Amino acid sequence: MDEQPIIQIKDVHKYFSDSIHALRGVTLDIYKGEVIMIIGPSGSGKSTLLRSINNLEEIDYGDIIVDGFSVKNHKDINKLRMEVGMVFQQFNLFPHLSVLNNIMLAQKIVRKRSEKDALKNAMILLDKVGIPDKANAFPAQLSGGQQQRVAIARALAMNPKIMLFDEPTSALDPEMIQEVLEVMIQLAREGMTMAVVSHEMGFARAAADRCILMDAGKIVEDAPKDELFTNPKEERTKLFLSKIL
Amino acid sequence: MLPKNNKEITNKWLNKNLPQVGELSKIDPWWGLVLIVLALIVLLLVSQPDPYQRILNFTEDGIWITLLVTLVSSVLTLVLGLFGGLGRISKNKVIYGIVSLYVEIVRGIPLLVQLLVWYFAFPAIIAQAGIKFNIPAFKNYLANPVMMAIIGISVCYAAYMSEIVRAGIESLPAGQMEAARSLGMTRLQAMQYVILPQAYRTIMPAIGNEFISILKDSSLVSVVAVSDLTRRGREFMSTTFLPIETWTMVALLYLLMTLISARIVNIVEKKTKMDK
Repeated sequence: MDEQPIIQIKDVHKYFSDSIHALRGVTLDIYKGEVIMIIGPSGSGKSTLLRSINNLEEIDYGDIIVDGFSVKNHKDINKLRMEVGMVFQQFNLFPHLSVLNNIMLAQKIVRKRSEKDALKNAMILLDKVGIPDKANAFPAQLSGGQQQRVAIARALAMNPKIMLFDEPTSALDPEMIQEVLEVMIQLAREGMTMAVVSHEMGFARAAADRCILMDAGKIVEDAPKDELFTNPKEERTKLFLSKIL
Repeated sequence: MLPKNNKEITNKWLNKNLPQVGELSKIDPWWGLVLIVLALIVLLLVSQPDPYQRILNFTEDGIWITLLVTLVSSVLTLVLGLFGGLGRISKNKVIYGIVSLYVEIVRGIPLLVQLLVWYFAFPAIIAQAGIKFNIPAFKNYLANPVMMAIIGISVCYAAYMSEIVRAGIESLPAGQMEAARSLGMTRLQAMQYVILPQAYRTIMPAIGNEFISILKDSSLVSVVAVSDLTRRGREFMSTTFLPIETWTMVALLYLLMTLISARIVNIVEKKTKMDK
């Protein structure tokens, strides 16, 4: 991969309320089609790093360039966000809108698609995540796993080049995790560039290319997934893996 | 001796004779109070047309003025309060500062004093400015009492409404705004399509209460030359010296209007809940 990375994270620092140094000089390149898994203890800054990529968290120092757009350039921030889909731990579906309207809203007002195109696209995506029969349901009527699949469809509807997943299965009952992971694995196989904060080893084994361990706001180890899981170099990684595996 | 299937019989009896939960909630018992107050007014009108019929005839135009002031003020309050609420959560420090200052000042002055300022002081300031800068249109500026009353009430109540709108928006999980922004929506689009439609449902009861408060506080405009229900009542009393009858009638008319408004608010509230 000698081409330009699609995401360049350059020496990023982030402070919360002056006293907490959440990111301490993170540098990371993500290439097109790569699936990156970010693991680490809670408070290590992995979610903060992910949320910095589409500027939900404003970084204090350094730069992040996504497909040519810098997060520092606030004028283009909505263009950047159109290229970056995000899936949240708490789903964050819009509860006052039906499943279809959840998926169609941003297509219509941000991508300026016609009602007909947006609807067609939404139905294709609902089919893809396996719940076309829930098109007219409201979020509150769906299980957690179904809600998260709608959230993935909603993000995909914008035709993003990159998908970010912030602990997508952490709020789910155990039996619903699989249905969400399957959608994510499918997406990875189709060549989507993905950055995933999660401890789901099933997903790591099936779909991840690279695995990154973060601790105390820094990247401790960055290695192809087989290497990191079977033969970690850093003591910190060994310690962490011994606890979660 | 008890029948064998005692429980079954009891259940049958219960199902037959007690209204089901769904049925019960359909009947709004508070309409009964509206009917009682209405019946009381009719009773007074029929049993003692003099003076009650006379009072009603005399104050009728006042009722319309009261309703007009209330309705227009409510709409203006809602519009101003919406912008005020957005200003109170604005990231722009200038907008936030101006709106916060407005809210603090207005909430610190009694509505009655504000009405006096709008009706007496404001036109005087305009007229003096007209003389000083020689603007003929300003020199002879005469305040329209109804207009000044509506402005006074709206400006005052919009400050409270701003806080209601702000609280409604802030009660939503931060994830809603984040999800909308992460899809590429501008802050304004997120407000319009995601945040406000949800906040509206939460603050609907509080908005309704504000409207009813406006209806009641509209009686204050009687001191700034608006011939509303209260003022017409006072005029009737001063010519007839019938304080008991006059204020009984006026009080019942206000009560009827507020009770009906409360029911209407309640219906709208239920409807918005069902839409969900």
